Amino acid sequence: MTKNPLNFRVLALHPKVLLLEWDQEPSETLLAFLLSFQIILEKQVKVTRCTMGYQSLLVHLLVDMKSLAWWKQRLLELQPKVENQTVNKGRHWKIPICYEPEYAPDLLALAEAVQLKPEEVVQLHTQTRYRVYFLGFLPGFLYLNGLDKRLYCPRKEKPLLKVPKGVVGIGGMQTGIYPSSSPGGWHLVGTTPLSLFDAQQQPPCFATAGDWISFESIDSKNYKALQKKINQGTFRLKPHD
Amino acid sequence: MIEILQHGLYTSIQDMGRFDYQSFGVPLSGALDQHAYRIGNQLLNNPERAAVLECTLKGPKIRFHKNSYIALTGADIQPQLNGKPIKNQTPIEVKENDVLELGTAKIGCRAYLAIAGGIKTEKVLGSRSQFKGLTREERISKKILLPTGDSNFKPVKGARLQIPNLDFNQKTLEVYVGPEYHLLKKAQKKILEESTFTLSELNNRMAYQFNEKLPHQLPQIWTAPVLPGTVQCTPDGSLIILMRDAQVTGGYPRLFQLTDGALHQLAQKKTHEKIQFKILTSIE
Repeated sequence: MTKNPLNFRVLALHPKVLLLEWDQEPSETLLAFLLSFQIILEKQVKVTRCTMGYQSLLVHLLVDMKSLAWWKQRLLELQPKVENQTVNKGRHWKIPICYEPEYAPDLLALAEAVQLKPEEVVQLHTQTRYRVYFLGFLPGFLYLNGLDKRLYCPRKEKPLLKVPKGVVGIGGMQTGIYPSSSPGGWHLVGTTPLSLFDAQQQPPCFATAGDWISFESIDSKNYKALQKKINQGTFRLKPHD
Repeated sequence: MIEILQHGLYTSIQDMGRFDYQSFGVPLSGALDQHAYRIGNQLLNNPERAAVLECTLKGPKIRFHKNSYIALTGADIQPQLNGKPIKNQTPIEVKENDVLELGTAKIGCRAYLAIAGGIKTEKVLGSRSQFKGLTREERISKKILLPTGDSNFKPVKGARLQIPNLDFNQKTLEVYVGPEYHLLKKAQKKILEESTFTLSELNNRMAYQFNEKLPHQLPQIWTAPVLPGTVQCTPDGSLIILMRDAQVTGGYPRLFQLTDGALHQLAQKKTHEKIQFKILTSIE
């Protein structure tokens, strides 16, 4: 039974920052509630912006709060609005990934670790629609939910100092794309030629919290063709449906 | 226009930061000591968000390409204009071809060089603050010309700005308790409240760490939003205080949240300096 998403604790982390935290496992129900709450809160004149995690919302205030009790009351008053807020169903983005060995240095090792054939790993990785819960870690890094349990695999003992941009990793119960080169401990199972983050674009990342992502397997020939288009600026990813 | 002749140890362009892109995972950035940053711009009648140079420990050497005014705030970095010492915290007139040389930080860690009209490099996502992967350069690392804005600033004789005294020797950092603090045992809380912590060499614009550890059995948390001034505790007991270039989410237990004042103060601490936490009454 899912707990009522209305039960959350409110903390004043700082005179200008409220933390709303739900004591329950991340779920689609909770995500929908967080997204709705964020929309309602960001409409309040006293709120400048909100940031999200799996089970929490950080609310930045315009000026120092005089009392936490006042805010608790206000949040209670806002709840009916949150419940009536139309749920963001999210757009669906299909991200092309090349799983060939040259682009997937750890695919064989991961397949062995989870006792599957490499093509079965690709099959399982591409058949899921993942939900974007929020962005964090690096600009344009999507926290994705929905990895098939058969692909759960502990992170590498020794993290790589430099995982290249666009590489798709699997680590623990998560999968994700490195939007820029960074140190990382995930198993590298593929690469996308797409840019997940571009500071010159508005918005800088095509996906937002609540969107859906799926991976589409492409061969190296298509990878190179797509990369060429991207470099020439003649490719723009469009949401599916 | 100003010309960087020598870039110093770690000099970067900073302003108030990027506020609107955290939901895309973009760090806040901006001057670490926002207090000193603000005073610099106020002294020159600059727009509130004008960009300045943040100079760390050893400052740059600069030539001015036009007559202007500057102000130095934050750490005392032993500034000299054409070889003569100049004052901090006050507008200083500079002429075309004057050379400003910033020395080493005698007191504090970060000095701010504001210039009338502000530094006018390209804005990226609403801010000029340099950050790896966002701005073309992540800091000033070579001889370079930087554009500056126009200003008709003239210091008013006798006008004074009320500047609160900054005490860079102040050891105490004021904090509010964080969401996981209450999960600590009494003995652990006592360590946090009574011990002195020594700033380790791992300190930069992303985070500050300490030599002392806090052994604990706190559970990992679901990745949650964090902000500059959040004090996290890693599984091996390291305390990490997030600074303005920190990532926007984190998965370690959150013990404290620094006040703005404490965050500015910490930005002026050097490796091996000591600090103590002072817990403030929670906001009710």
